[in-house]
Amino acid sequence: MLENLLLGFQTALTVENVIWCFIGVFLGTVIGLLPGLGSTTGVAVLLPLTFALEPVTALIMLAGIYYGAQYGGTITSVLISTPGEAASVVTTIDGYQMAKRGRAGAALAISAIGSFIAAIISLALLIAVAPPLADVALKFTPVEMFAVMIFGLVIVVTFQGGALIRGALMAVAGLLVATVGISPGTSTERFTFGNVNLLSGIPFVEVMIGIFALGEVFYQIRMGAAEPIKARFKDMVIKRKDITDSMPAILRGSGVGFAFGILPGAGSTLASFMSYGIERRVSKNKANFGKGAIEGVAAPESANNAAANANFVPTLALGIPGGATTAVLLGAFTIFGLQPGPLLFETQPALVWGLLVSFFIGNVLLLILNLPLAPVFAQMLRIPYGYLYPIILLTSLIGAYSVSNNMFSVWLVLIFGILGYLMKELDLPMAPFVLGLVLGPLFEKALVQTSAIGRGDLGVVLQSPIAVGVLLAAVAMIVLPKLIKPGRALLGRMRDRSEETTGV
Amino acid sequence: MKSRITTVAISAVAIAALAACSSTGATPAGSEGAEGAFAPTDVRMIVPFAAGGGSDVSGRAIASGLEDATGATITTENREGGSGAVGYSHFLAQEGNGNYLLAAETALLALPLTTDVEFNYESFTPIMKLGDDYTLVVVPGDSEFQTCTDVVDAARGDDGVVVAVSGAVSLDEVVFTLIEQDQDIEFDRVPFEGGSEVIAGLLGGTVEVGSLNPSEVLGQLESGDLRAVCALSADRYEYEELADVPTAVEQGIDVAFAQWRGFIAPGGISDEARQYWIDAAEDYVASEEYTAYIEDNLMQANALYGDEFVEYLAQNSADLEAVVSQ
Repeated sequence: MLENLLLGFQTALTVENVIWCFIGVFLGTVIGLLPGLGSTTGVAVLLPLTFALEPVTALIMLAGIYYGAQYGGTITSVLISTPGEAASVVTTIDGYQMAKRGRAGAALAISAIGSFIAAIISLALLIAVAPPLADVALKFTPVEMFAVMIFGLVIVVTFQGGALIRGALMAVAGLLVATVGISPGTSTERFTFGNVNLLSGIPFVEVMIGIFALGEVFYQIRMGAAEPIKARFKDMVIKRKDITDSMPAILRGSGVGFAFGILPGAGSTLASFMSYGIERRVSKNKANFGKGAIEGVAAPESANNAAANANFVPTLALGIPGGATTAVLLGAFTIFGLQPGPLLFETQPALVWGLLVSFFIGNVLLLILNLPLAPVFAQMLRIPYGYLYPIILLTSLIGAYSVSNNMFSVWLVLIFGILGYLMKELDLPMAPFVLGLVLGPLFEKALVQTSAIGRGDLGVVLQSPIAVGVLLAAVAMIVLPKLIKPGRALLGRMRDRSEETTGV
Repeated sequence: MKSRITTVAISAVAIAALAACSSTGATPAGSEGAEGAFAPTDVRMIVPFAAGGGSDVSGRAIASGLEDATGATITTENREGGSGAVGYSHFLAQEGNGNYLLAAETALLALPLTTDVEFNYESFTPIMKLGDDYTLVVVPGDSEFQTCTDVVDAARGDDGVVVAVSGAVSLDEVVFTLIEQDQDIEFDRVPFEGGSEVIAGLLGGTVEVGSLNPSEVLGQLESGDLRAVCALSADRYEYEELADVPTAVEQGIDVAFAQWRGFIAPGGISDEARQYWIDAAEDYVASEEYTAYIEDNLMQANALYGDEFVEYLAQNSADLEAVVSQ
């Protein structure tokens, strides 16, 4: 183990590799910042640039883009409620509220700190126990994933506390939109109306740009431009208390993120909102969630970074990509003449350990890059809205076009922009809609596969102890809060009574 | 901002390509003098699938090879969506434009058979088939199956055999259906999306048998986590790693089916343009780059051009139709 780490540092700490690592994380931050351009596209587009490099250097840079994008995706989520990355959707809820209160700097700083801590924790786990964890991940067959998806839906529905019915409504609407396109398993076309652009479904990225970015701009135009947020530079800097308050959320977020990250196909988006949903339940500060709670930024941001690292567990140990971006990275392995698979650790130790150690270096670079920049970025909010909104509109539409070089994406963004505006007018929560859209295809795939495994009988779910455990947890998420409240009240009353008696 | 990054990436590819050209000192194919008129300078290679996948890799390999052969600049553009339908439909609109090419594979034939699209292979001008990618029948390392005959026998038994497929006209659906038709048996299917999911399904015990391209699964074969029980190719592989794998035909199962890769031009282009690209393709096949691509991806180098390629497509399409209509 120790000599492996040493080998890793020897490989990663060459001047060339550190420079390319920096270029990777810097480009990643920029890519994460731009709406529509996620880490998957970023890695794919920049892949040809690395052909001239050594394989290990190229992979260090490409991986840097990947986790760098997780940092960058936060910035626009917080500042203008426009997630640059799918995994940052959840951050908009509390992050944007914090920005409105002049605390954008603190939100950005805590996400950088949380991301850093999560990355280091998950990296240690990745280095120490990747192969055994990969075996655990394999135990999550479609049957178990079906249970996980139900758990996810429960979290989505109960996402924004009080508005349970509205949340459920929007989640179902998201699931419905997710049914457009060719169905998994049977290859039947649904709701495509003969339009080839709809065959692969309504793409998540366009919906996200439309609802969040355009929806917010339209809404603000209707409201009549609000005053730019005037915050003193001093308030932009994070306080010690913010960090200590967020620590439990960061640690829980790292754990949740890592757990979801190792499951093939689940990825950081799922991890980020799961951790937000769980944090809303267990945090000391849960009353402020949705109104600008710093924990509501710290938890999902830690989770998406932990998940990004954990994604490398199946990727490196089994040769099976954990998510879309690691799939492109695996493609890069092949292009460089490396055979991804379980033997990679043995046949290419310098490459694997060099890559893992470079994550550590990359995250240190990102922290150095992001902490001082947080208050600077936050100053962007001082730009009068008359200038800011056209810029947002422009980057959103260009971003939409460049996703697939297709005008159809631009129309989609405009349609969902109007829908997003209407949702805001009607005070309907947007996050459950988007997350329903994310979960829809995953849920349906797990359902079709489980049904095929059980030859039409979904009862197979009950034969898997893991699946039953996950389902029980889902039931507990709904039932427990209802039981705890009256229980506490009862306890309180008993205490009052005993105080009365002793008092007398 | 965003387009700037794309521009930078594209120009970087172009610079890399130009550098490659100047270093090999390649001259344009002799066709130019003979046919005179057609000489493309700025060419688009459409890849109808996402960057990083098998089609993308082959599209970029072909583009780079053709650049060397012709001296033209060829930019690769991914237009993904609808299992390739979006890219092919976009390509359909480029009719008559000899400056457009598309990295094609089995989806060209499969889509018209299953999906409501406005094209079939006759809508385009097929230029070249690059080679064939056969599949291996793969089981987990500790599986009781030693041969494909074992798999077929088990499928005849009471418990059946669970196989992985990736959609109605995916390569694995086609080969398992061909085995079923040949042996008069029926498999139980669990649907997946793509090769890496199938590998996870095999390792996790969800399915008993999968069918995968050698390049997708070589890592797991070498580690012993997965085992190839037969190759669905006409002849045994010559690659050292795969030479020991018997063909299905050897085991009494008369099935061989390949996924082909190649490139096509839009329909209605001039004869000069068609001949220009065929000549360039022949130059590319003679290059070391071509050999390296075929070997890296463990494919078989069965190149076909022009009319021969069209005949092959007609036959392949008929074979596919027999499976789909079943």
